[in-house]
Amino acid sequence: MAKFNLFSEESNKSPLARFWRKFKSNHPALVGLWIFIAFAILAAAAPLIAPYGVNQQHSDALLIPPSWHEMGDVRFILGTDDLGRDILSRLMNGATYTFGLSVIAALITTIIGVLIGTFAGISRGMRSSFLNHLLDITLSIPSLLLAIIIIAILGPGLINTVWAIILALLPQFIHSVRNLIVTELNKDYITAFKLDGASNWHILSRGIFPNIYEHIVVIFTMALSTAILDISALGFLKLGAQPPTTEWGAILAENLGLIYLAPWTVGLPGVLLFLAVLSTNLVGDGLRQVLKARKAD
Amino acid sequence: MVLNYILRRLGLLLFMMFTLSVFTFSLSYLFPGDPLSNLSGISNTNFSQTTELQDKYHFNDNYLMQYFAFIARIVQGDWGVSFASGDSVFTHIIELFPATLELSIYALIISVVVGVPAGILAAAYHKRWPDKLVNSTTLVGYSIPVFWLALLLIMVFSLQLGWFPMSGRMGLLYEIPSQTGFILIDIALAGFPYSGIAMLDALHHLTLPTIVLAMYPTTVLVRFTRESMLHVLEQSFIKTARAKGLNRAQLIIHHALRNALLPVIKQIGLQFSTLITLAMITEVIFSWPGVGRWLIDSIYQRDYPAIQGGLLAVSMFVILATIIAELTYTLFDPLSRNQAHGKV
Repeated sequence: MAKFNLFSEESNKSPLARFWRKFKSNHPALVGLWIFIAFAILAAAAPLIAPYGVNQQHSDALLIPPSWHEMGDVRFILGTDDLGRDILSRLMNGATYTFGLSVIAALITTIIGVLIGTFAGISRGMRSSFLNHLLDITLSIPSLLLAIIIIAILGPGLINTVWAIILALLPQFIHSVRNLIVTELNKDYITAFKLDGASNWHILSRGIFPNIYEHIVVIFTMALSTAILDISALGFLKLGAQPPTTEWGAILAENLGLIYLAPWTVGLPGVLLFLAVLSTNLVGDGLRQVLKARKAD
Repeated sequence: MVLNYILRRLGLLLFMMFTLSVFTFSLSYLFPGDPLSNLSGISNTNFSQTTELQDKYHFNDNYLMQYFAFIARIVQGDWGVSFASGDSVFTHIIELFPATLELSIYALIISVVVGVPAGILAAAYHKRWPDKLVNSTTLVGYSIPVFWLALLLIMVFSLQLGWFPMSGRMGLLYEIPSQTGFILIDIALAGFPYSGIAMLDALHHLTLPTIVLAMYPTTVLVRFTRESMLHVLEQSFIKTARAKGLNRAQLIIHHALRNALLPVIKQIGLQFSTLITLAMITEVIFSWPGVGRWLIDSIYQRDYPAIQGGLLAVSMFVILATIIAELTYTLFDPLSRNQAHGKV
């Protein structure tokens, strides 16, 4: 819809700067971004910041509630578990596994997904039809089920989980990228570009990618939130990270027997998981809104 | 035209089933251990048994013959036996699937009943407080890990308040003969004097798992309905209707709703895929005797024939549900029939 520009001042900022300006005005998304950055820092530097070692046991302090509780101890801000391990340190280190590995998994998915998605987008005829049908099938198998099957083949373990999640996320990713490319290919400026004699590589690198990379970032945030949920779900089902590892889902599963005696050992890892997924979704939603607003301009 | 479309979808269905069966068949080679025992579920055989099995499974022939033998056995209902129980995998699935299906269907009903009106409400009051409320609630619901939500509800409603039981399908006091596998229908069919109390008990057991399972699909449906509604409200025919002087209620009920709900039908069918995944986790937490918990248990026990059978059954179900949803959608929306071949 055409809009009147009330002020004649011209804004000639770069697309990225305009993008950031719009994103900044969305406060929930901004808060999400800060939490996201905090998690990223935690994932990278947890062993340096954490007050105690991950498996350091304090035999004098078993099952101490968080420090705000009247039975709490200020040495252990979030309390201890049944082996006297400091929960704060364990949760901080968990960020490396749950959040850090999810980011890595989502990044690898992005690289492979963009490659295959582009190929699927520009191919025509039989090849395209075959790829699409193949995608249809993998899309209809639930991602977690796919991950579970892959783990059944590879055997449980954290690294296998990451591979399984990458493979399970790929179909959705390829599908979205392919749709983006096909939509963009049908636009007039690409046709004009083609008529000028541009090769496929030129069309992709100069024409399409500069216009869709923001959308790819949005898809990336969606993949990331699914990856966090799946990694922790597999850890919780004892198919992913195995107990001494401080992956949040695995911590939750390990402390499940204490749910009545020490509810904080089950509640707190969940809070962090929730925050990690929420911040990712907030950022993703914020990005999507900016893209939508820009389209309306 | 419609027939053509249906035929094309059926072709797609066949192709999907074919690829799925190839994948399942190849799993017995991909899984660790001996392919023959992975496929049949019989291990530690002596020489004569092995030759008998090799004959039955065409193991001395090439892969193609093996695959055809595999398909023939799948169609006959001979899915091998489970390593863990020694019983037929197919019987297990027939017994357990209704429990999962029951849970998923109730969760789906709840998510449609709650999600679609909430989405319409949010779109009708776009950018005002109902919209913001619905939006932020869905964002929270969208981000909660399902197992944590289940544990929170158990902590509050089972351990603190004691309102709902935390596991199982039925109190131990009642013995319901399984006829359909759907607990509520079975109670009604059993027809014994205290069926009302038994029904109440079953509903009590159902409450928490259903809420947990419904959370994610509800948020998806809310968001989808809202988007779809907003999209329709921007169309020109809505502007025309508004120019004619219709008020908001008339506009939404008579003009926007029908068009906006069409894509939602398709989306409802697509929810089965996520529902089944989440049902697996929910079943593990609430000890619900369904196919999901059985599948997870099979993985712990390295019960490869069971994993294969479970995968085949669940995926076949999801594919069927998706195709049926698409066909229903097409019946309602003539525009969607003009799709190019192989479009997803």
